[in-house]
Amino acid sequence: MIPLDFALTLDSGTILFIVLAAVAVISAILVVEHKSLVYSALFLGILGMANAALFTLLGFNFIALFFVSVYIGAAVTFILFSVSMFEEAPAVERPVRIITLISVIVAAVVLAGVFALYFTGGIQPSYISYRVLASLLTEKYGFALIIAALTLVTTLIEAITIARKEEEK
Amino acid sequence: MDSIVLFLSLSIVLFGIGLYGLISKRTMLRMLLAAEINFNAAILALVALASQSPSPATGEVVALLATGIAAADVGILVSIAILMYRLKKRSDVYELKESRG
Repeated sequence: MIPLDFALTLDSGTILFIVLAAVAVISAILVVEHKSLVYSALFLGILGMANAALFTLLGFNFIALFFVSVYIGAAVTFILFSVSMFEEAPAVERPVRIITLISVIVAAVVLAGVFALYFTGGIQPSYISYRVLASLLTEKYGFALIIAALTLVTTLIEAITIARKEEEK
Repeated sequence: MDSIVLFLSLSIVLFGIGLYGLISKRTMLRMLLAAEINFNAAILALVALASQSPSPATGEVVALLATGIAAADVGILVSIAILMYRLKKRSDVYELKESRG
């Protein structure tokens, strides 16, 4: 069992959790309520980053890495580019620039907090060895892995089919 | 208070926001984004609960598979939304009634 108490016993860990939770909740509200779909998709990416940082806080470093690379890097970016085809991104106005500046400062503070926790030993390394994870994924959950791979291939085929239908019309 | 309660509370708040967006919005892509918030909330709850499990590797494997499947369903839904928008020039979900069969 992973000891989770560091998030509460360490003050910096608690502050980091509060900052990440605030970023996640504000991003989620902006995803739903922002007028522009482009910015909504962008805030979904920020929500995913906050989520990945929370996974790291829980000690699941590999999931955080996978989440950033696959979910944000592929899925959210795909949504972002697709939404950009629907509508033009509005011009960057002064309030947006201020929000951007605040976002950069918050990101810098969060990163500084993460590195400070890491170097002071606050963040625990992953408790799960990659060897155990790989053997579990390929042996016990091998069938589920095959189904997931087939689902991804089916998605690719469906996307190509839809695109070809559009070309024919 | 155990710290897992904090993570689960955050997960509930995120799920509530996603559910609100899913119910209140009519645009297909906006509903997709709200559903993605729900996915984020669910995966956060899964990982938080897995960290308390005697075998956290199992929870990690399930989270990895769920993330892969989520990427796949995003691809399908965005493809359908783009096709629908090109055909009808609108992305209202109520337009789907006319495109059955």
